[in-house]
Amino acid sequence: MANMGEIVICRCEEVTYGQLQATAEEHKCTARELKLRTRAGMGFCGGRTCRPSLDRILESVIPNIAPGEIPLKYQPPIRPVTFGTVGENQ
Amino acid sequence: MSDVIVIGGGPAGLAGAIACASSGLNVTIVDEFIKPGGRLLGQLHQEPSGEWWNGIKESERLHQEARKLSVDIRCGVSVYNLEKENHLWNVYTNSGTLTAPFVLVATGAAEYPIPLPGWTLPGVMSIGAAQVMTNVHRVQVGKKGIIIGANILAFAILNELQLAGITVDRIVLPERNQISQKAGEPEEVMKSLLNAAHLAPSPLLRFGSRFMRRDWIRKIGLNFYPKNGVKVNGTPLQLRKAAIEIIGKDHVEGVRIADIDANGTIIAGSETIYEADFVCIAGGLYPLAELTAVAGCPFQYIPELGGHVPHHSETMETPLEGLFVAGNITGIESGKIAMAQGTTAGLSIAKHVGKGAGTIDEQLQQAVKNVRTVRQHAAIQFNPEINSGRSKMNQLWDDLYANNNREDSPKKIV
Repeated sequence: MANMGEIVICRCEEVTYGQLQATAEEHKCTARELKLRTRAGMGFCGGRTCRPSLDRILESVIPNIAPGEIPLKYQPPIRPVTFGTVGENQ
Repeated sequence: MSDVIVIGGGPAGLAGAIACASSGLNVTIVDEFIKPGGRLLGQLHQEPSGEWWNGIKESERLHQEARKLSVDIRCGVSVYNLEKENHLWNVYTNSGTLTAPFVLVATGAAEYPIPLPGWTLPGVMSIGAAQVMTNVHRVQVGKKGIIIGANILAFAILNELQLAGITVDRIVLPERNQISQKAGEPEEVMKSLLNAAHLAPSPLLRFGSRFMRRDWIRKIGLNFYPKNGVKVNGTPLQLRKAAIEIIGKDHVEGVRIADIDANGTIIAGSETIYEADFVCIAGGLYPLAELTAVAGCPFQYIPELGGHVPHHSETMETPLEGLFVAGNITGIESGKIAMAQGTTAGLSIAKHVGKGAGTIDEQLQQAVKNVRTVRQHAAIQFNPEINSGRSKMNQLWDDLYANNNREDSPKKIV
C-alpha cells in the first residue's frame, strides 16, 4: 500500500489516487465537483476506464448514495466527436 | 426511415434485429466495430457437454440471417447521443443522425479496471483486450504473461490464450484496497469461483466445491491453500498471492508479487518479482449503459447484475416509450442469454407496433420463458446470484410501472 497515492486512476487526464483523495477530503466534494476540480473522467475515453474506480472513491467520501442514483452523471457526447459532427456541419 | 434502430451488433442486437425483421419491420443496426458479432467474435471454448462454442461461427450465422431479412447493418459507426423529439428517437452518430420510433440499445458491457502501480506501462491490457487481440485480430499479445484477478472471464480467456500457444505464467489476485475491494479478498474470490467449480480442471477445486460452500470449511481450505496454487489447465491459480506493482522501464518486465493471508493482508517480507512481458488485468464486467442514461432512463444499482442497470421489464422495455434494451446492458450474463433477450426485445417491439397478428403474445411469452430456460441450463454464471439480481429488477418494475394505467402494461408471465 506504500505508493497507493501515486497510482494513476484517470489515465487520460493522469489524475492519481492521492490527488483524488486529497481533493475529496479537502472540499467534501460531490461527484461532479470532484470531477471538475481534478478533471478525472473528463478525458478522451469519457470516463469509460476510470468511472468505476471514481465511484468507489466517492462512496467513501459521500456515504449512502441511493441505489437509484448514478454518482457521476453521464453527458453527451459519450464518444469523442469533432465539433463539426456535433454541430451537424459536415 | 427505419422502424427500428438497433445500437450494437453483438448477440443481443443481431438476435433483436432478426426478430424485428422477421415480424416485417424495417431495421437498421449500427455498431462501433469493423464487423458485426460483438463479443461473440472473441469466444472459443468447450462446453461441459464436450461441444465447442465458436463465437465467430455463431456471429456469422446471425449476420447471414439478418442479411437475408434485409437488415441494414452499418459498422464503424459510433453513437454519441440518444434523445427523443416529437415521438421519434434521434440517434446521433459520427456519420449523421438516424431517426426511428423504436430503438433497441444492446451495447453490452465494459471492463472494471483494477488500477495498480505500473498499470499504464505498454504491455498491460485488460483481459478482454487480450481476447480481442488473440481471437479477432490474431496478434500475439506476448510470450509469457501474468493475469491479475481471478474470475470466470479470466479463466475463459486464459484457455483461449493457451489455445493460441501463449504462456500464462500464473493468475494472482490484485492487492486488496478500496478500489479492488472483493477482487482482492481470497475468501470472496473463492466463493465466486466455487460456483463454477464443476467446470474446474483441477480435481482439488472440483472436490472442494462440494463442501466448501460452508464458511468455516472455506476458511480452513484457504488457510491450507497450496502456496504455489492449484493448476488451471497447467497455469497456477494463486489465491494467496497478490500483485503489488507492475514493473518495467519502457515496457512490462515483470510483476512484484507478495504472499497474502486468507483475508488478503500482505505478509511482510514475502515479495518476489516474477518476469513477464505482458500483464492482463481481469476486473470483471459492468453493463455499458451510457446511452440509456443520456436518454433519460432511470437506473438501479444491482450488484448481482454487475452494477447500474436501466429499469426494464422481462419483455425488455424501458419506462421510456419506444426504448428497449437487451443483452449485457441489463446484467452480465453469457452470449446465449443475450441472444434470447434480443429475440424477446425484438418480439416486444413487434408487439408494440401491432405486428405479428394474433400469435405475437404467445411468441413473446415463449421468448421470455426461453430466457429463463437458457439461464437455468447455463454452464457458467458470471455472478452466482444472477437469479436474485433478475428478481430484484422484475420486482422493481412491477412496483413502479406494471400497475399504471398504461394501455399495454406488461402482463405477468408465469
